[in-house]
Amino acid sequence: MSALLSVQGLTVRASGKTLVSDLSFSIGSGERMGLIGESGSGKSMTAMAITGLLPANISVTGSIVLDGQEVVGTEDKRLNRLRGVATAVVFQEPLTALDPLMRIGKQIAEPVRRRLVREQGRATRSAVDREVLDLLDKVALPQPERIANAYPHEVSGGQRQRVAIAMALACRPKLLIADEPTTALDVTTQAEILKLLDGLVRETGMALLFISHDLPVVAEVVERVMVLRDGIALEEGAVVDVFSNPSHDYTQTLVDAARMFDEALGRTGS
Amino acid sequence: MTALDLSTGRPARRHSLSLSIGLALVGLNVAVALLTLFWTPYDPLNASGGRLEAPSLLHWVGTDRLGRDYLTQIMIGARTALIVGTGAVAIGASIGVTLGILAAFATRLLDDVMAATLDILIAFPTLLLAMLVVAASDSASLWSATLALGLAISAIVARLTRILAKRVLRQDYIVASRTSGTSWPGVVVRHVLPNIWPTLSVNFALQFGLAVIAEASLSYLGLGAPPPNASWGRLLQEAQGTVYTAPVGAIAPGIALVALVIGMNLLADGLRDVGDPTRGRSR
Repeated sequence: MSALLSVQGLTVRASGKTLVSDLSFSIGSGERMGLIGESGSGKSMTAMAITGLLPANISVTGSIVLDGQEVVGTEDKRLNRLRGVATAVVFQEPLTALDPLMRIGKQIAEPVRRRLVREQGRATRSAVDREVLDLLDKVALPQPERIANAYPHEVSGGQRQRVAIAMALACRPKLLIADEPTTALDVTTQAEILKLLDGLVRETGMALLFISHDLPVVAEVVERVMVLRDGIALEEGAVVDVFSNPSHDYTQTLVDAARMFDEALGRTGS
Repeated sequence: MTALDLSTGRPARRHSLSLSIGLALVGLNVAVALLTLFWTPYDPLNASGGRLEAPSLLHWVGTDRLGRDYLTQIMIGARTALIVGTGAVAIGASIGVTLGILAAFATRLLDDVMAATLDILIAFPTLLLAMLVVAASDSASLWSATLALGLAISAIVARLTRILAKRVLRQDYIVASRTSGTSWPGVVVRHVLPNIWPTLSVNFALQFGLAVIAEASLSYLGLGAPPPNASWGRLLQEAQGTVYTAPVGAIAPGIALVALVIGMNLLADGLRDVGDPTRGRSR
């Protein structure tokens, strides 16, 4: 069985600096994997490389095979057919990831329309509208009609992230890439969004690549993790093994830091 | 535009005073211009009274040297001004926005070349550029003046579009839209154009006012619409010789010109407030 995503020897360079070096991993269909590391460890670079959307001045070498299609060095037009079909992305900052001048319903409608055309050859307005309200309902937004008519600045940060998730779900991708989806949110909202994402991924059976610097958050939603530092993979394995028995000092410090933070907050380690 | 929308709970957009006055002035001008298509007080080409009559009940703004009714000519001048203004902005907008978007997507080298070319074109005084185009065409006409001004405007619009589009293309929501499979043309239509439109539309309104002034200047210099097309610029020029004996001939088209340009500028100002849905909150 071939993997849904297979990354081999991925190296990303920008103006003489190596941002990601010789990274290899794969994700099977329906599998949930976490990519952890601090800021600048190359997590987001890896995600953008998978979508083939890195700027032209950043050089990518190695191989990324997504849903049977090589991404590295493939022309944009062909990759565009893969985007939304094989992958969709939820970004860190929900405010800037939504077009400020477009009503929320309209932003979700576009990927829905594209998918309906792809699957059924046509997309009637009523079918698209129904699906949009359905998606808003699915991400547990109250009063879907009101939200669909609102502009992004008129809803809260947590609601915006739910909208962003609805947009990603609208594509029904085989792999959902979540790039620090909870970092910009407050702690209670974080927990809600995490629960929502977790539930939706399990329900739809799509694969998940979850990118975060936050160990407890990652541990909650994925089965397997890879620890990155300065663009180099330090270790990889099942969540339980990596966190309970880290083979690398750096992972140990991350685990310790998370534990200390929990204790400082008076939380019991989960 | 919308009243208080209870279903969305959004505050109604407030009409600004400048938008109302601007709309009134421009609307009056459009109404008068349309009216002249069907009716004018007098025949614009033939004498309908004595020479250089003072304003009276028969001739509200008096008559010119040949005894033609001034009000009729000013009304037809409104039509000329609108045609030139609309035409020039339409030409300038279509060429300018296309070039600007292309430049925003062009490779670094091509973009630099385009930017430099536009800067040089803009450094040329609009009027001088327009005079060159009119001189190059066979004869001065309404269309050569419109085309000339349209080309001058397109350089300004292209430069503005390029900068605005580049700024929008750097935004996160462009990348987000791309990750869901939106093609580049789709991004331009769905995100770039709507997001640069509020700024562009304000600029179009300003350029319209400038085009009306430039047309008057060209006509004043004899490079605009030739007779019998009445133009405010030519009315001003014809009134020059009699400005001391019959000043109304210079004052009246001057007021009409200023009213339209101020109206357009106020409209531009008002559009800026209305065009941005995120703006309503702070006001």
